[in-house]
Amino acid sequence: MADASPSPVPPILEGIDLRKTYRIGRVDVPVLRGASIALRAGEWVAILGSSGSGKSTLLHVLGGLDRPDAGAGDVRFRGESLSAWRASRVDRYRSHDVGFVFQHYHLLPELTVLENAALPCSVGTWGATRLSGTDAVRARCTRLLESCGVGHRLRHRPAELSGGERQRVALVRALAADPSVLLADEPTGNLDAANGAAILELIAARHAAGLTVAMVTHDAAVAARADRIVRLVDGRVEDHVN
Amino acid sequence: MYPLLLAARYLRSRLIPLIAVGAVALCVALVVIVVSVMSGFLDMLRNSGKSLLGDVIVSAPLGGMPYYGQFIEELESMPEVEAATPLVDTLGLLRMPYPAGNRKEVVPVQVWAIDPPSFARVTNFRDDLYWQGRDDDTRESMMPDDPRLALGDSLLGQGANLRDADGQPGIVLGMHVSIANARQRDGSYRPRYDWFMPGMETVLTVVPIGESGRVGAQRDRRFEIVNELQTGVYEIDKNRVFVPLEVAQELLQLDAAPVVDTSADPGPDGNFPVIGTSPARVTKVLVRASEGISPDALRSLVEARLTAFTDRVNGDPTLRGRVPSNIGVLTWEQQLRDIIAPVEKEREMMRILFSIIYLVCAGLILSIFWAIVAEKTRDIGILRAVGASRLGILSTFLAYGLTIGVIGSAVGVALAALVVRRINDIHDAIGQDAPTWSWVAALGIAATASVMALRYAKRGVLLRTLLWSITAATTAIIGVALLLHEGTLIWDPAVYYFVDIPSAVDWPTALFTALGGILFSVVGAAIPAAKAADTDPVEALRYG
Ligand SMILES: Nc1ncnc2c1ncn2[C@@H]1O[C@H](COP(=O)(O)OP(=O)(O)OP(=O)(O)O)[C@@H](O)[C@H]1O
Ligand SMILES: [Mg+2]
Repeated sequence: MADASPSPVPPILEGIDLRKTYRIGRVDVPVLRGASIALRAGEWVAILGSSGSGKSTLLHVLGGLDRPDAGAGDVRFRGESLSAWRASRVDRYRSHDVGFVFQHYHLLPELTVLENAALPCSVGTWGATRLSGTDAVRARCTRLLESCGVGHRLRHRPAELSGGERQRVALVRALAADPSVLLADEPTGNLDAANGAAILELIAARHAAGLTVAMVTHDAAVAARADRIVRLVDGRVEDHVN
Repeated sequence: MYPLLLAARYLRSRLIPLIAVGAVALCVALVVIVVSVMSGFLDMLRNSGKSLLGDVIVSAPLGGMPYYGQFIEELESMPEVEAATPLVDTLGLLRMPYPAGNRKEVVPVQVWAIDPPSFARVTNFRDDLYWQGRDDDTRESMMPDDPRLALGDSLLGQGANLRDADGQPGIVLGMHVSIANARQRDGSYRPRYDWFMPGMETVLTVVPIGESGRVGAQRDRRFEIVNELQTGVYEIDKNRVFVPLEVAQELLQLDAAPVVDTSADPGPDGNFPVIGTSPARVTKVLVRASEGISPDALRSLVEARLTAFTDRVNGDPTLRGRVPSNIGVLTWEQQLRDIIAPVEKEREMMRILFSIIYLVCAGLILSIFWAIVAEKTRDIGILRAVGASRLGILSTFLAYGLTIGVIGSAVGVALAALVVRRINDIHDAIGQDAPTWSWVAALGIAATASVMALRYAKRGVLLRTLLWSITAATTAIIGVALLLHEGTLIWDPAVYYFVDIPSAVDWPTALFTALGGILFSVVGAAIPAAKAADTDPVEALRYG
């Protein structure tokens, strides 16, 4: 990829020279050492990298769930710097602008499947009278859950679901507020081939409808579905060369 | 709204909120019960002391104080004085009307010789007379065999005037001077062996003491018992008897008497010539303050009045009597120092203990909520990750703590009210031996539980084995404790002055404690919630 000319589509989400260092005891462990990544609107990027290379860390920083070291790098969403935002704007960014799928589902055990799926919508407003959100949100989440094959589990608790079903609920939650970017951290990592394929199909369908996707994966076959593949090496993002 | 919805969901789930409510309730109840009983005790002491003595007590030496009638008149002319009454107090021996036969019992008593009408104006004497027909409300709550139900007002009249049915001087005994009155569970009395004291005869023996301090020959006087007095202060109910003032003055040679000149020649009838009158004397004057006047303020006024009075009397050569210089003027609190001081010391001790108990309870509540919310750190991370604001998280757990705090405190106050109101029943139950069924049942459960524990142990089920073993051990301990339990009187009236344990809820304390319970619940929930909400979501997710 020698083409350095400015791309015709401006990036929707951009990580610029990100540095993240963890301090363990007295030792500084640098994880990100100037990682830069730009997601163009409507693009599907797969992020590869060995275990412990900092893929999750990078995705967290991009999703506004974690911050880079002070003064070391910047995350921009539609050209606006996250670090300059008020707290309420960051909350809004997390609930409505990006959807996040965690490596480990992270569903609330006390809530039903439907309530979990609707969570970004219900916590985004103080007017909610039900945890499953407004009628519109319920309808949308129910439709998404049905299309994921968990429509018959709406009133169940996460503990009563299989791993694959939970991951699908988590995916629906990430899509509930109709975000423009989906950040998915190994969404198929814990699933068998059939379940993994189902999840991928869902993402592909949303991507086809215009969703920007950044997905961490170990699986070359999964990465092959993306428009572009990058690799995290030594805390930096490198373009993938076959 | 979602914080409330979330809090409601957390409250509905599982055992933990119930345990938290229970802990808050027990802490609140503990503090309210102990404080209510202790402060009730002090209040009772104060009220009874005041109602038995009036506000200010003027005490003369045993030789007495002359011209007391005039002094009382002067006192009662002051606007600060509601009423004043003269009194002679001395020690005596009382020959009781029991047992049957010739060998009657004799008990030492503290004699108060009173002027019934004015005494009743200064103290609650009339209300404290036990044998009187009560008002309809009180009668309704009496047990059907209560002897007072059959009483008219004749004994009340006799007691209040210290006169028997024939108009002869009578005596009123403190409720526990005789051993005849058996206390019932409801606080009423039944005569033992049908020894109903009113109407029976006693003999009071006193010894006059002259102004010079010379002890005279003993004097006996027969009295009919006309009523008995229940003040609730055991010290008084156990020792005090009341007789008419003029009778005691005569017995103790404190009455007005002619003064003769023994240096002159006896007259034709063999008597020395009378040269004047020695005035009647009393040993005490009790003063009651007008509405709104404090005992301390009244004390200074009375003292000033006494000084003026003493100067006037002692400076008047025409008067024979001399007011002694060592008359003390004390408020009722100072007078009862012996009784009140140890209680006040005890109260200080209790205050320190309460602060500790309160802090321990607060710490307990704080840590319970801390643990509950800390367990939710991962949830908080998830909520923050999907866009919940810090304020939203904080509100969720504030609502959670507030609900548990309010319910727990309400349950606690209700529990405390129940226990405090029935504390005398509970005390009575503890005073009995444990009923057989109770320890048989406890030991039975213990045996069953051990069998269960053994069965699970054989199957290798750890948790069940542990739980059944704990059940077996605790019930066995309870059973043995019940078996060994001998009825003990914890609230011994002889030790605690009062016949009843105070059983009124101290509502200001209850309110204060309930608010404290709510506050600590809320703070205990809010701190870890705020801490979790402040960290980046990833951090909360990692440590959750
Ligand atoms: N809070 C933390 N404190 C200390 N070290 C951390 C922390 N979070 C991550 N690390 C370290 O940072 C490195 C990168 O972690 P990260 O989770 O981003 O890796 P990853 O690429 O997602 O790995 P995997 O493929 O196994 O999920 C790891 O070595 C990890 O131990
Ligand atoms: Mg990872």
